[in-house]
Amino acid sequence: MSHALRVVAAEALKQHRRLFGQPLVLFSMLLWPLLTLAATYYTVLPVMESAAAPQRWPVAADPRRLLAFLAAGALAYTFFFSLVQSAWHFSFERVSGTLEALFLSPASRMALVIGNGAAALTQNAWLFGCFAVAAATAADVLDVAHPGMYAVAAVALLVPAVAWGAFLNSLLIFSRDSAFLYTLLDDPLWFVAGVRLPLFALPVWIKAVGLAFPLTSSLVVLRGALLDRADLGDLAAPLGWLALLTVGLFAGASALLRLGEARVQRTGGLQVF
Amino acid sequence: MSVMGATFVRNWRITLRAYPWTYFVGTLATGVLTIGVSMLAYRAIGGGRVGASFTAATGSADYLGYVTIGAAALTFATRMVLWVAKAQITEYREGTLESQLLTPARRLPYLLGVTAQALSTTAVEITVLVAVASALGVRLSVPDPLTLLAATVAATVAVVGMSVPLSALMLAAGEAHITQNTLFTAMALLCGFTFPTSYLPQAARWLGEALPVTWALRVLRAATLPGADVDPWPAFAVCLVLGGVYLLLGLSILKPAERRALHRSARA
Amino acid sequence: MSTGIVTTDLRKTFPVRRWQGWRRRPVAAPVAAVDGLSLRIPPGQVTGLLGLNGAGKTTTIRILSTLLRPTGGTVRVDGLDVVEHAREVRRRINVISGGERMVYDRLTARENLWYFGQLYDVPRARLRVRIGELLDLVGLTDAAQVPVERYSRGMRQRLVIARGLINDPAYLLLDEPTLGLDAPIAHQLRALIAQLAADGVGVLLTSHYLAEVEQLCRHVYLIARGSLVAQGSPAQLAGQTVRRHTVRLVLTVADPAVTVALRTLAARHDAELTVDVDDEGRPRFALRHPEDLVGAVVTAVVQQGGTIAGLTVTPPTLEDAILTLADPAVVAR
Repeated sequence: MSHALRVVAAEALKQHRRLFGQPLVLFSMLLWPLLTLAATYYTVLPVMESAAAPQRWPVAADPRRLLAFLAAGALAYTFFFSLVQSAWHFSFERVSGTLEALFLSPASRMALVIGNGAAALTQNAWLFGCFAVAAATAADVLDVAHPGMYAVAAVALLVPAVAWGAFLNSLLIFSRDSAFLYTLLDDPLWFVAGVRLPLFALPVWIKAVGLAFPLTSSLVVLRGALLDRADLGDLAAPLGWLALLTVGLFAGASALLRLGEARVQRTGGLQVF
Repeated sequence: MSVMGATFVRNWRITLRAYPWTYFVGTLATGVLTIGVSMLAYRAIGGGRVGASFTAATGSADYLGYVTIGAAALTFATRMVLWVAKAQITEYREGTLESQLLTPARRLPYLLGVTAQALSTTAVEITVLVAVASALGVRLSVPDPLTLLAATVAATVAVVGMSVPLSALMLAAGEAHITQNTLFTAMALLCGFTFPTSYLPQAARWLGEALPVTWALRVLRAATLPGADVDPWPAFAVCLVLGGVYLLLGLSILKPAERRALHRSARA
Repeated sequence: MSTGIVTTDLRKTFPVRRWQGWRRRPVAAPVAAVDGLSLRIPPGQVTGLLGLNGAGKTTTIRILSTLLRPTGGTVRVDGLDVVEHAREVRRRINVISGGERMVYDRLTARENLWYFGQLYDVPRARLRVRIGELLDLVGLTDAAQVPVERYSRGMRQRLVIARGLINDPAYLLLDEPTLGLDAPIAHQLRALIAQLAADGVGVLLTSHYLAEVEQLCRHVYLIARGSLVAQGSPAQLAGQTVRRHTVRLVLTVADPAVTVALRTLAARHDAELTVDVDDEGRPRFALRHPEDLVGAVVTAVVQQGGTIAGLTVTPPTLEDAILTLADPAVVAR
């Protein structure tokens, strides 16, 4: 076990050293999401100003609440997408030849992919800082049942994100066209997860697809806990589903790693899917 | 002319052999999903209506048409910039920039050749996007053909004008990803693609006015927005002048940028 | 428990799929990359693995290092099966491949070694010492804090070597380790390999540089098409070659009588004779035979009144051994 922990820590530090300080991080994690958030806000504003909107969705009546709703969505989305990005970077190790060096070592493969995802998370901790500052300046928008709900929101965002990262890493290191998966998990992900719209506005089948992604339920918890004064009882269903998804993603990652490596050992090619 | 024609033919050959599907799916998805979000919000939240500020700013209540045309225009701008602004840095990365610069060919005809080919593939892609939007239930009014033609010319001049300095910037920085995505997200906010620029704060509006694409969009709105009775030609003229200024500026800094890129590759 | 790496009747076939109609199906009888190979790599010496391109050297190394799973046969490392006890085997083995892959550009040399040390579970205190030793050994101590992306090719390759030694491997598999290295660095590496073997490490070496193999290896396996064709010390292998003393002769001027005499001589001894001209247009002869025919050649030329401008005799080398023994026609015989 201590070996596995050492591998997680080493992998996280390696990723940190490889990616931190790159201007790309600042752009892709802060500037682009902010510009996109503003554009999204203005794009849906005409609809929210319609006379019918406040009855259907109370948030629509208050531009500040609308912005907080969209900002929470942007934060969670950026967070989850950073794991897609880190998995994408990890898949380059196949091309650069370092993946082979990893497979030569006795290190637990699962520890490697978890370490990789954990690195992406700790690197983006500053993003939480920015969000906290923004939230503090607009404190009246926050509506929290009790302080413990901040912790619930953080856990509901972080733990499924690590599982999501481990799963994506396992999928992408063996994938032939990781660029395509990357594209597939960019725009469609925010659409089905209710990042820019309340879930009730989505058709049933899109909601069903969205439930398969942890981002959807994480976002329900995040918004519920921080903006809608929800307590644990109110959020029991999404939290339970998140726990199930997290277990499923870890199990999936473990299976992918085992199948992937066995196939690699049989065929000699590092591409499986 | 021969440089332009040869570049056109060369790029068509490359496109036919290795079409960048991932880019296409990515850009198409952005467009379709932007339309999708607006449509769902319009129906489920707005109850099929929009607020007075939109009608006042655009002279029309056709919100879905507005967003769809805007998303199509954004796809056009994005794809054209990807082709034209990235043409030279792609050559640089593949190692062919040097063999290009060795020839006596001028830059402008080369870039125009790239543009002509980009226009032809982008036209197909825009058609796909508009077809998807129609399938989703967006009803677009029939545009005035002359104004639509003017809008296409204006948009092309605007995009090419902006692409040339951008190409120089990418070559000088040896980097395309950050530059291009910053431009795309900034354009989407500042130029009035999916909402009228009058929604923006004053400072952001002035930034938008400095981009030729903003003016090209005004010509496009005049052609496509029912009930918006505006004269497109002043915006058309501003767009051509602004686009020309960007183009000249870009061509003047392209040579030093190329030299810088070659210096870098010689050192590596 | 037997020490060393022992392979028994090792086989590896790669599944091959071809398009058939609208789907890809496995090919009925795929070609074997390794076909019934039995080797022994004992500790404390350098063992060579030679063969032409595509003979199965790299596949063999990848099986020994657990990256590939054998289709048949067994590999045991100090008695541990590489499939069943893969993790334990990975602790004892490491691989150094030629080229500059397997290290991270954005990390420094020290960070790269620290990272791999964690993956190999090298005890903390030992790792700190080991990193210093290895940096010293490959001459990167001064550049230890510089990101690898700013290294020259030679420096990167030296770091690749240090990476391969981070876990104090009991067995080191070297796949063309000096490929593309500058001569002085290659020389240092060869000295290092000899030292490691002297210290008890079992080394397997594949190389295109035969001088390297002749210098370092006590025992050499020669494989062709995945099968063993010969083994022995480098000298023994070189001795097994046929037709490979080469006498090269250049005459000052062309002389038909000399040509006839040499052809007759070659025919009588059943030697291989090639005739051409050198850069200055002078007639040149090359005569290959198991025995050294230089005396007979000189006598024949002088008897016919020819004048010798140049004469060289090349004894059989390991390279000849590979070429003759690995030649499919010879193998078939």
